[in-house]
Amino acid sequence: MEDVHERELVERCRSGDEHGFQELVDRYKDLVFALIARTVMDRSHAEDLAQDVFLRIHRGLPYFRGEARLSTWIYRIVANVCLQEHGRPPATVSFDDERTRARATPSGPDRQFRDLELRDRLEKAIARLPANYRLLIAAHYLNGVQYEGLAEALDLPLGTVKTQLYRAKQQLRRMLETDLK
Amino acid sequence: MFCDEALDTVEAIAAGEVVPDGRVASHLATCPNCALALERARQLETSLQRREAPAAPAQFTSRTLAKIRRARWRSDQFLDLGFNLAIFAVVASVLGGVWMLLHRTGLASVSSDAVNVFGSGFVSLARRVAPSLPLYAGALALLVSALGIWWWAERDAAL
Repeated sequence: MEDVHERELVERCRSGDEHGFQELVDRYKDLVFALIARTVMDRSHAEDLAQDVFLRIHRGLPYFRGEARLSTWIYRIVANVCLQEHGRPPATVSFDDERTRARATPSGPDRQFRDLELRDRLEKAIARLPANYRLLIAAHYLNGVQYEGLAEALDLPLGTVKTQLYRAKQQLRRMLETDLK
Repeated sequence: MFCDEALDTVEAIAAGEVVPDGRVASHLATCPNCALALERARQLETSLQRREAPAAPAQFTSRTLAKIRRARWRSDQFLDLGFNLAIFAVVASVLGGVWMLLHRTGLASVSSDAVNVFGSGFVSLARRVAPSLPLYAGALALLVSALGIWWWAERDAAL
């Protein structure tokens, strides 16, 4: 049923129906934006990149043959945009900002603050990962994107996706452990 | 040495994708370093699962559609420019060809006589039309304004 609706939507977009494309944007915007924002770590730039993704989708729809699922094709475009973006200078991530310094203060942070601090450290550690690892982490933990979907979108063997994801998490764990020392 | 082997599997165990076999399980139960690594891998797994998924900003759809319209308009303009240049090139080559044909065949002198005949006809026509010239100029100005407004409205709609 979902697939039928997806095919209809693609056909409407292909025939130049602007409302159809609007529906497509509304349907996938949160997914695309979240993936990009989590990968490029710079939300101000994430919107531009997410718009570029939809521009590419709009240009590419006439050539979309429907062999893969629409969402898989969209993941592939997001991956290309994010990995191309990796060629540019990365967003500056400071490891010495106010929040990091606050960790050393002996004022006894409460649980909520510790959670925020942990989240902050996690985000900074993720920002230090290579772009392909960041993308894998972002996609895998977003709406439970399955390994098979990731492998198809990234054009990688299933085993490679799993191995890379384990390595990404291993690197993250080690970075967080080093950070604690 | 066995620690390395066990540490390589902690991420998969923490994700619930691998169940440790007897050897790994007994090592994890006895080695405090590997047990700690597994505990941290589990914490990391939980944190990653709880990680916030940022939602697209408000107005994202309308801004994206506007960007697509702008891009399409720019590409249409580029196409129009290419088409106009191609037409210009074709007209110029046809005129050039006619001019060369006239000169090579000696028809140029005949055509200059024809031009003189048409020229004198044009002068007499201009003399007759001259009194109504302001009227024609006004009509032309109106036509140009209308075309300008149409172009502006179409451009604005495309943006």
